[in-house]
Amino acid sequence: MSIFNKNFIAAGMAGVFVAGMAASAMSADIRVGITMRMISENGQRYGQMVMDEIDMINESGGINGNMLKATLMNDECKSDKGVANAIKLINQQKVHILIGSTCSSVSLPIVDITEKAGVPQIIPHSTNDKITKKGSAWVFRVPVSGRYYAGVNAKYVGENIGKKIAYLCAADAASQNDCDAMQSQMKSQHGADPAYVAQVQEKEVDFRTHMQKIKSAGVDGIMIAALAETMARALTQSYEAGIPASVRRIGSSSASNSPVPSIAGDAAKGVFFAAAYAAADSRPIARLFNEMVKKRYGVNSPDHDFSQAYDLVRITEIALKNADLKLDDENLAADRTAIRDAIANVKDYNGLASGPISFCAAATPQCRDGNRTAVLIAYTKGGKDYKTEVLARVTMPIDFGL
Amino acid sequence: MDFDFSSLFAFLLFGVTIGVVYGIVALGISLIYSGLDIVHFAHGEIYMFGAFFGLVFSHTMGFPYPVALLLAMVCAAVLGMGIERVFYRRLTKGGGGYTVAGMGMIICGFGMSIVLMNIAFLIWGAAAEPFPVDLGMPFQLGDITLPKSYALTAVVAVLLMAALHYFLKKTKLGLAVRAVAANKDIAYLMGINVPMMISLIFGLACGIAAAAGVLIGPMQSVQVEMGYLMLLKAFAAAVVGGFGSLPGAIAGGIVVGIAENLGAAYISPNHKDIYAFLLLILVLMIKPSGLFGIVARVKA
Amino acid sequence: MTAIYSIFGRISETIEKLAAIHRLLPWILAFALLLPLPQILSALFNDYYIYLANKICIFILLSVGLNIVKGFCGQVTVGHVGLYAIGAVSSALISLHFGWSFWLAFPIGILAAGLAGIVVGLPSVRLEGAYLALATLGLGESVRIMIAVTPLFGSSTGLLSIPAPTIGSFTFDSYTNYYYLVLAAAMIGIYLSFSILRSATGRAFMAVREDTVAAAVHGVNVTKYKLLAFVISALYAGAAGGLFAHMPPGYIHHNNFTIIEMVTLLLMIVLGGIGHIWGGIIGAIIVTIIYDQTLEFYFYQPLLFGLTMVLIVIFMPRGIGGMIDRYLATKKFIASQEEKSNAAS
Repeated sequence: MSIFNKNFIAAGMAGVFVAGMAASAMSADIRVGITMRMISENGQRYGQMVMDEIDMINESGGINGNMLKATLMNDECKSDKGVANAIKLINQQKVHILIGSTCSSVSLPIVDITEKAGVPQIIPHSTNDKITKKGSAWVFRVPVSGRYYAGVNAKYVGENIGKKIAYLCAADAASQNDCDAMQSQMKSQHGADPAYVAQVQEKEVDFRTHMQKIKSAGVDGIMIAALAETMARALTQSYEAGIPASVRRIGSSSASNSPVPSIAGDAAKGVFFAAAYAAADSRPIARLFNEMVKKRYGVNSPDHDFSQAYDLVRITEIALKNADLKLDDENLAADRTAIRDAIANVKDYNGLASGPISFCAAATPQCRDGNRTAVLIAYTKGGKDYKTEVLARVTMPIDFGL
Repeated sequence: MDFDFSSLFAFLLFGVTIGVVYGIVALGISLIYSGLDIVHFAHGEIYMFGAFFGLVFSHTMGFPYPVALLLAMVCAAVLGMGIERVFYRRLTKGGGGYTVAGMGMIICGFGMSIVLMNIAFLIWGAAAEPFPVDLGMPFQLGDITLPKSYALTAVVAVLLMAALHYFLKKTKLGLAVRAVAANKDIAYLMGINVPMMISLIFGLACGIAAAAGVLIGPMQSVQVEMGYLMLLKAFAAAVVGGFGSLPGAIAGGIVVGIAENLGAAYISPNHKDIYAFLLLILVLMIKPSGLFGIVARVKA
Repeated sequence: MTAIYSIFGRISETIEKLAAIHRLLPWILAFALLLPLPQILSALFNDYYIYLANKICIFILLSVGLNIVKGFCGQVTVGHVGLYAIGAVSSALISLHFGWSFWLAFPIGILAAGLAGIVVGLPSVRLEGAYLALATLGLGESVRIMIAVTPLFGSSTGLLSIPAPTIGSFTFDSYTNYYYLVLAAAMIGIYLSFSILRSATGRAFMAVREDTVAAAVHGVNVTKYKLLAFVISALYAGAAGGLFAHMPPGYIHHNNFTIIEMVTLLLMIVLGGIGHIWGGIIGAIIVTIIYDQTLEFYFYQPLLFGLTMVLIVIFMPRGIGGMIDRYLATKKFIASQEEKSNAAS
C-alpha cells in the first residue's frame, strides 16, 4: 500500500480539514448561547429579535472588533430540555454568556447549572422570585421579579378596589408565583385573606363553575394568573357568568401579552396588571421601539417580553464592551468571570424598562434583580387593535418582598 | 341552612352544556369502536382540525356559520377517510382485521395524533385564534347568562344523534354499516363492499368530531393543543355511556360534564380534571360496559 | 449493512463463549468497558455527551421496564410516566423534607412506585386492549395533575435543590460521577430484565400476551402474572424517577411527566422492538441520540417523531430488534443449509 494511495491522501486531507475547523471554531468570537421558549404566540419573535439585534451589533463592527456568535435553542418551557440546552451551550458551544429562559420552571434549574459551570446567565423573561433567592453569583435578571409586581398590585388593589379578592391560578411556575406572592402581599399589606382560590390546568378551557362560585362569593376583584390564552378565556367567561365590570379583573404580568386582549376582545377592557413596560409609554424611546417592532415583526403595541429582550441585548452589549476579554481557549473561565463582573457593574441603565436597571456584585436578590420598577397598566380597549393606559409607575424598595 | 339552588342549577347547566360537546366527540369514538373495534386515539386532533377548518371557512373565506360547519365536517371526513385508507388500513393487512391489530392501532393512533397536531401547528401556528360568531344576545335564565352557542351545541348534538340513529337503523346503507360492524367476513360474503363501509364509518365519525370543534370554537377559541384534553374527556364520556352505544355517548358526556362541574363546585376546584378520570376508572372497574353499552364481544 | 449485522453475530458468539465460563462474566466485562465512557466522550467531544449518557441510562431503565409489561406481557399501558413521576416525587420529598440520604429515599421511592404499580395493574385484571389503555392513561394524567395542584409535591414551582447522593466524601454531583451511578443502575436493570424474561416468569408473561385463555388453561395464573408485570415495570419506573430527581441540578416539575414524555417512551420501545429483549435499550439510545442531533429542527421534530412511530408500526412492527433477529435467523438458516449441502457432497 503506497502512501500515495488515494485513500490515504483523502484521509489526510480530511484530517487537516477537521483540525483546521476545530482550530477556527475557537477563534476570537464572543459566543452567546440563548435558550428560550420558541413555540408560543410570540416566542419566535422574541428569539428572532435577539438574533436580529445581535446581527446588527456585528454589522456595526461588533464588540471592540470581536464578532458575536449566537446560538438560539428552543426549550419548549420544559425544564429537562432547558437543562440539556444549557449544558450543550456551555460545553459544546463553549459560550461566554448564556441568555435564558422564558419560563420560570426552566430558568430555575439552569441557575444551578450556570453557577456550577461558572457561566454568566442573564434572564430575559422569568419572574419567579426563587430564581435570584438561590444565591447564585452568576445569574442576572432583567425582568421585574414577581415580588415587586405583587407589591404594586396589592397596594393598588387594596386602596382602590377592595380586600375581597378571588384567585384563579394556572399551573405554571410564573403564574403560581404571582398568585402566591399576591396573596401574601394582600395579607401583609391589608390583612386580607383570599375569598376564593382555585388552581387550574395550564390550558384550561372551562371556567364557568369557578366564575359561578366567585359570583356567589361577592368579591371586589378577581385575580387571574395564567398564560395569555388561558387568561383570555377566563376573562371572557367571567363576563358570561354575569360578573359585572365593577368587579375589577386583575391580571398577572402575562396579561401584557397580546393574545390576552386580542382573544378576549371586550372582556379585556378594564383589566389591569403590573408589567415592566407599557406600549402606551410616551417616552420617545418607547415610541421608536413600538414602531420598530411593528415594522420588523408585525406586532402592534409590543408587550414587556419584547422590551425586556431588547433591554437584555443592550445591557449585554454594554457589559461585553466593558469586559476585558482574551477570547482564547485557555482563558474561557477568566473571560466568563470578566463578563459576569462587567454585568454586575451595570448601574442605572435607562432603556425601555420603566425605571433604571442596576446590578451589583453580591449574590443576593437585591443585587441580581436589577429592575425594580413596575408599571400598572389597564386595557382601555380590547380586540386585535387593543389600547392601554398607564395607571401608575412605581419603583419598589430594593428589599421589598424579601 | 339555605342551600344555594340557583348556583346548583348553574353548575348543572354548565355540566350539561359542556357535556354535550364531550358527547358529540364521544359519538364519533363510539361509532368507530362499534364499527371497527378500535379506539381512535387521534380523534381529538380531528376535532381540532374541524375547529380550524370551521375558522378558515367562516372567517377567512367568509361563509356563513352553518355553511362553514357543514364544509368543515366534510373536510374532516375526507381527512379521516384519507388517514384510514393510507395508514390504518395497512395495519390490518397482516391479517386478522382490526381487532388483532390491537396494540399496533393504539400506538399508531398516538403517533398519528402527534403528526396531526404538528401539521396543524405548522399551518396555523401556536397562537390561539378567537372564533367569534354572532348568534345574537345570549339567553338569560334567572341571573345566569347562557351564550347561544351552548344551546346550539346541545341542539346539534341531539340532531346528530338522531340523524345517525336514523341512518343506521332505517336506511339500507346503514344496514350495510351495521353488518360490517357485526362481522366483516360474513358481510364480505353477503356482497357488501366492506372497505368502502369502513371508510364511511370513519368519515362519519370524523365529520361528527369536526362538528364539535366548530361548535365549541366561539366558546373557547381555537388552538392547536385543544384536541388532547378533549380526547381524554370524550373517552371518559364514551366509556361512561357505554362504548358502542350512540345515545350512551351523549348521555355519558353529560354525566362527565356534570360530574366535573359539581366536583369543582362542591369538593375541590383544583382537581376539576381528575373527576372525569376518576369517573372513567370507576366505570371501567365496576361496569366496563357503561350505562347503555353492551358487553364487548370480539368481532373479527 | 451486512457488515453491521455480521458484527452483531460476532459479538453474540463472543458473549456466549464468555457466558459459558461464568454467567455474570459478560455483564461485568460490559460494565468495565462502559465505565471510562465519560472520559472518552470528554476527550472525543465534550462534557455535554456525558450528560446525554446519563439521560440515556435513565431512559434505558424506563424503556426496559415499559417493554416488560407492554412488549412481553402484552398489557397496553400508557400511564408509565405516572409511575416515573411517583418515583421521582417520593424520593425527592423524602430527602427534602426528612433530610434522609438518597440511599434511603431512593429505595422508598422505588417501593412507592411499585405500590402504585399494583394500583395501575388492577384494571388490567379485568380490562384488555384499548380499555386498559384508557384506564392507565387516566391514572397517569391524574398523577400529573395531583402533582400540579398540591404544594407539597411542588405544584407549579417544582421541587428544587434535590440533594445529590453521597458516599462518605464522594458526592455524585457532577455528570461524570452521576454516570457511574446510573450506569450501575441501568446495567443491573438490564441484567434483571434478561433474567426475568428468560425465566419461567418471562415465558408466563409471553403466554399471557399471546392468549390469556390458552395460558389459563395451561395453568398460568393470569392475574398474578399481569400484576407482577405491572409491578416490575413500576419498580423500574420508580428507579428511573428517583435517579432523575437526584440528578444535578436536582429539579423536577410536573411538566416533566406529560403525555409527550409517554409518547417518547412509546416511540423508544416501538423503534427498538416491542417484545424484543434488547428493544428498550436500542430504542432509548437511538431516540435520544436522534433527538439530540435534530435539535435545530425543533419546529419539525415532533412531526418527525410521530411520523416515525406511525411508519414503524405499519412497516416495521418488530422494530430494529426484530430486524436484527430476522437477519441473524436468516444467516443461521443459510449457514445450516450450506453445512447440509457440504455434508452431502
